[in-house]
Amino acid sequence: MDFTYSAENLRFRDELRQWLNDNLPKGWGVTAHEPKDEDERARFRLDWERQLFDGGWSGLDWPTQYGGRGATLIEQAIFSEEMARAGAPDGLNIIGRNLVGPTLMRHGSEAQRQRYLPKILSTEEVWCQGFSEPNAGSDLASINCRAEREGDHFVVNGQKVWTSFAQYSQWCILLVRTDRTLPKHQGISFLLVDMKSPGVTVRPLKQISGESEFNETFFEDVRVPAENIVGELNGGWKIAQTTLAAERGPGDAMARQIRFKRELDRLIAAAAALKRGSVSAIDDPVLRQKIAKSIVEIEIMRLSCLRSLSKMVKGSAPGATASMLKLYWSHAAQGMYETALETVGHLAPLTDGDPLAPADGAFQLGFLQSRAFTIYSGSSEIQRNIIAERVLGLPR
Amino acid sequence: MDFDFSDQQYLFQETFKTFLEENHDLRKHVALLEDDGIDADLWQGLADLGLFAMLVPEQFGGLGLSFVDMALVLEELGRALVGAPVVETIVATNMVVRHGSASQQACLLPLLAAGKLRVTTALVEPKSGFGEQNIQACATATGNGWRLNGHKIMVPHAAAADLIMVAARIGPMQALRLVLLEPQRDGVALREHSTMDPACRFYALTFDNVVVDADDILGAADPHPASLTRLMDVSSAVAALQLTGIAGKVLDIAVAYATQRVQFGKPIGSFQAIKHKCADMAVAIDAARSAAYYGAWAVAEDAPDRAKAVSIAKSFCGDTARLVCNEGIQIHGGMGFTWELGLHWYLRRAKVLEFSHGDAAFHRERVMAATLAELEGQE
Repeated sequence: MDFTYSAENLRFRDELRQWLNDNLPKGWGVTAHEPKDEDERARFRLDWERQLFDGGWSGLDWPTQYGGRGATLIEQAIFSEEMARAGAPDGLNIIGRNLVGPTLMRHGSEAQRQRYLPKILSTEEVWCQGFSEPNAGSDLASINCRAEREGDHFVVNGQKVWTSFAQYSQWCILLVRTDRTLPKHQGISFLLVDMKSPGVTVRPLKQISGESEFNETFFEDVRVPAENIVGELNGGWKIAQTTLAAERGPGDAMARQIRFKRELDRLIAAAAALKRGSVSAIDDPVLRQKIAKSIVEIEIMRLSCLRSLSKMVKGSAPGATASMLKLYWSHAAQGMYETALETVGHLAPLTDGDPLAPADGAFQLGFLQSRAFTIYSGSSEIQRNIIAERVLGLPR
Repeated sequence: MDFDFSDQQYLFQETFKTFLEENHDLRKHVALLEDDGIDADLWQGLADLGLFAMLVPEQFGGLGLSFVDMALVLEELGRALVGAPVVETIVATNMVVRHGSASQQACLLPLLAAGKLRVTTALVEPKSGFGEQNIQACATATGNGWRLNGHKIMVPHAAAADLIMVAARIGPMQALRLVLLEPQRDGVALREHSTMDPACRFYALTFDNVVVDADDILGAADPHPASLTRLMDVSSAVAALQLTGIAGKVLDIAVAYATQRVQFGKPIGSFQAIKHKCADMAVAIDAARSAAYYGAWAVAEDAPDRAKAVSIAKSFCGDTARLVCNEGIQIHGGMGFTWELGLHWYLRRAKVLEFSHGDAAFHRERVMAATLAELEGQE
């Protein structure tokens, strides 16, 4: 066990701090914030991601031959700490970096890795995830979207839902049924689909936050070259497990806790500025308890990521334990947003657009968005089943 | 960066786990309710395995290890409900290693390493809450040395201890110091408490003009100004590990019961109502481990964020043990409520530890203060 920084680690940290200082927009987090308009925000995030890539700060843990930095675990930890400290923006190509990357590195052919991985980091190609369907949510293996082989192509027909960022994506990882005669888990294949292909239609869905990050995506006689299959025909379910573990695992959570720490800092600043009668909200002992509870829980999220990553460095796959991390952080983060609203108290109902809304309505938006945390990447109920059966060994 | 234990550290854990499973089951634990509550064979067995030597430097006959090496062992001690004064002796050993004078180290450490000295700690007072500013026990100067007056409560196994490490104010500046004295010393009165956890003997202590001289003060003529803070941090970090161990044990018992208990023709563990409780317990325990292990590292290294790390650990692990002990009993239904089954021993120990060395509210306030200080430092 070792958390100490070597001189080399400190140089890495200082270099990053300097880079952030030079590259974040002037007055970032104080006078400068993300654009409110969703499309503008998406562009802003993509530009930021591009800047990170150009500066050599993208794909820290990825191997250098695919455009990554091949950084050590401690450098990854320092990176996330500094990003949190600077309140740095999120990127857009989250699915590409966190899900498609690890999946192709584990199951893709060398040709696929060389073709797709570098363009994920360079932001030339944004990815979305075509897994869920209207009738296949928690029971994901019951997907209906089908692909039939015709010569050197697959022809895809069906519908996907909750496809986040599909409107900005060039590519999609798609789960399709390739054999109806086999048991449901065994007739699934994993395809890489060009979103510009004729027959792909993206229709935005409005979320409870008022945003439209996710979509319905329709596939009508979409022709996908046969070489775009990952792994074996009908071997897609196992590959999807890698994607899901990555989605629930420490790499993804490590990036998320940056955002949550940024929100906590904002919350503390808001509480310091807000009066409750004659005292500042930050001096209210009840609120201090609640805010401290969230500080504790989000810090443990970071520590659990580091613990999990330390084991991964030694060769253990996250597997079902990734569900523990996801279940933990999703509820911790929801609690944090509840606390944020309680902290701003009488101003809690005010949202962005109202001049009196604390932090420009960031907590209200975050609160609404947080309702999805315990639903996407597998609902809490599914995660609990996985933990109970696969980690604790309780009977099915 | 490595947030994992070494193979050797896992081996320590395995060694103690096996020994404790063979030598300290619930039946033996209950037997401790009789006589003085000390299992001398267990103590000797732990000493033979080197438990008390772990933190002692090699020059004093110890193994020269750290709290990181001990973390998993302390978790196992918690799991097996081994409590006072084993744990207090380990904590006090670390205090002598860090802040004892040369002669105190030379005199005490070889005995401690060999398991020949039992030490307990006396911090909390009846008329004030947790925290060093609330300590009122006070030693005033006389011709030679001081006279100690005051009260302490919840002192584990004070009667069976060779030495008690007492937090008190000393001299005209009322400096907070740690005083080492024997329970037999003139003017020390002991009264056994009635507590939630009768397996762990707690005492109320009264000091009535107890003679204290300079050599009784940890560090003697040159005491470390923050020794009390360190004792509180170490005690909290250790309690967090014990609480995590208890929670882990109760989950294991609950999962085993849910697997074999049949109702409606099925093991109750196949019902989601039970499964989901168990999953939530497992998730809380995993998070508690992250917090408790980091707390152990922060204490071992005196990290700049030691206070915050320890308070994160103590508050979260206390909350986790509460959740797991309550749900563990719930999963057992009526059996869980029986004296016979013995789940309540875990609940009782966890409850006492939850409210020892600062409860969750106390530590959350400390986390808040540390966070605000950090943010100010960044500006």
